[in-house]
Amino acid sequence: MKNRVRELREGPGWSQGDLAEKLDVSRQTVNAIETGKYDPSLPLAFRIAKLFRQSIESIFAPGKE
Amino acid sequence: MSRYTEKRYRTHVLVAMAVYMLLMFLAWPYVRHVSSLPWKIALTLVVVLPVVIVIWLMAKRVMHSDELEQRLHLTALSVATGVVCAASLIGGFLCAAGVLALDGDVLIWVAPVLSLLYGATHLWLGRRYGGTGCL
Repeated sequence: MKNRVRELREGPGWSQGDLAEKLDVSRQTVNAIETGKYDPSLPLAFRIAKLFRQSIESIFAPGKE
Repeated sequence: MSRYTEKRYRTHVLVAMAVYMLLMFLAWPYVRHVSSLPWKIALTLVVVLPVVIVIWLMAKRVMHSDELEQRLHLTALSVATGVVCAASLIGGFLCAAGVLALDGDVLIWVAPVLSLLYGATHLWLGRRYGGTGCL
């Protein structure tokens, strides 16, 4: 799955640690999501979308199967 | 749920393992010399208590982890448990067949081997997901 989490995080100038703290996850999880190594669960995707005030579909898009 | 931080977890485990080491030096040597059965059992349980606390701390750590960390912990635990189960079954059958001569002392190695395999698998998985590989 492709996502725009890095782009959205860098907008307000947050570090991965800042975003991790806001989402109550580890920095490793933020890094894994940004690099596409890990697809977040639906509840976490909703938390990310709520934090950036965007819809889930505008942040996450299906990649190559 | 508030996260159980790595720093607090490590501190608690370190304290528990220090107590374990202390008990191994102070209490364990007396177990074979004590004649009373209740005392033998009590001393053995006292020595094992810090390890039980470490297992509880590990469970607490996993419960307070986020979803990716939980996946890493549980995958590492599954690999470690699977390998130890297979090894003990093979050892047990070879012992029953009279090929190997194993006594009860070998059970002491189950926890350390399980921990080592869990640690190694967790390290490898952590690096695969872009982390530092810390436990």
